[in-house]
Amino acid sequence: MVLLTGRVEIAEGTQMKNKFLGMFIGTVGLLIVCVPVLAHHGRSNYDVSSTATVKGVVTEFEWINPHALIHLDATDETGKVEKWIAETNSPNILNRQGWTKNTVKPGDQITLVGHRVKGGASYINFSKIIFADGHELNPAVKN
Amino acid sequence: MRNRWMNLIFAVLAVFGALTTLLAQTAAQSGAKKIQTPAAVPNLNGVWANITESAATFNPKEDPAFQAWAETKWKANKNDDPAQRNTNGLVQMDPTVASCFPSGMPRLMTEVFPFEIIQVRDRILILFERDYAVSHIWTDGRKPPEDPDPTYMGYSFGKWDGDTLVVETIGLKDSTWLDRAGHPHSDALHVVARMRRVNQDRLQIDWKFDDPKAFTKPWTGRSIYRYHPDWTLEEFISCEDRLLHGGESLEEKAVKGHVQ
Repeated sequence: MVLLTGRVEIAEGTQMKNKFLGMFIGTVGLLIVCVPVLAHHGRSNYDVSSTATVKGVVTEFEWINPHALIHLDATDETGKVEKWIAETNSPNILNRQGWTKNTVKPGDQITLVGHRVKGGASYINFSKIIFADGHELNPAVKN
Repeated sequence: MRNRWMNLIFAVLAVFGALTTLLAQTAAQSGAKKIQTPAAVPNLNGVWANITESAATFNPKEDPAFQAWAETKWKANKNDDPAQRNTNGLVQMDPTVASCFPSGMPRLMTEVFPFEIIQVRDRILILFERDYAVSHIWTDGRKPPEDPDPTYMGYSFGKWDGDTLVVETIGLKDSTWLDRAGHPHSDALHVVARMRRVNQDRLQIDWKFDDPKAFTKPWTGRSIYRYHPDWTLEEFISCEDRLLHGGESLEEKAVKGHVQ
């Protein structure tokens, strides 16, 4: 994903042909990354037409099947705290990516990128997590 | 004099006895050797993960030739029919995802989670990460039951055809989906899987699904799996989320607007 994003950024600074190629590769890359994360259940629950980003402080990490769940408090510009729930892949898949039950801990400042559930509830299925020190993890299936 | 004759008789009997024992042991050893040294068979042992394009089904290019009832069920399963959709949009037709039923065979072979093959003396075991399910493929030549009681995993038996393991599975419950895509089947489903390790890293399975109650002709397909020598099976249990959250997952609650 990082590599693909990089290609898109390079394309924007060069020729039109490369821009379209970059967009194509980026789109395909996004599909490849996002589909497996949503593979367990229907995509119909999520607004996959747009990407949502949620930034907040972790209050709980549930290491459960079929989706590990992060509970977090997100604070908006007015200082109001909104409680979010973020789901990702199952513990068996995360384990193979090097995750453990301690990868996400209460108090961690994180940013999540993914798709919000339809209907406006504060619930997101994320395909990327960025930690305060800048390191990113991608929980997708890698068979 | 009498003792000499007695000694001679005992000596002859002893030699005869020793020879008989020796011959019997030799015969037993040669017999045991035949049983304990089977012909070399390909090694399928290890952890494998599905990398088939459109892995949700066995054949993404062609659906089975369904009988009318099965065609109707297939349309409902794949949510073609808006009337079959649940109001909250969940995949309510999927017995595994929506209702926590075991995936069963052969659907498990289309799941994203890996499985491990273990070859033992009288059978080949397939351990699945999903549901912790096990398929026992009997290879000891036993006769399959004529009218097996239906189960989620079915009754499997196999034999080697050169470098290919030919596995037949019968006795499957009709309540499962045939694959993750939602193709329906009946309890008459007869699965033939031709499993071959095409190289060190790839297992290829050619499928034939014969179901006279649901299909008008057999359906075929192919799956590809990648070898992962550094993987071990983890644990995956369905529906833990809803069991922990009052019978409904937090996702379901969010869709209905029941979470903050």
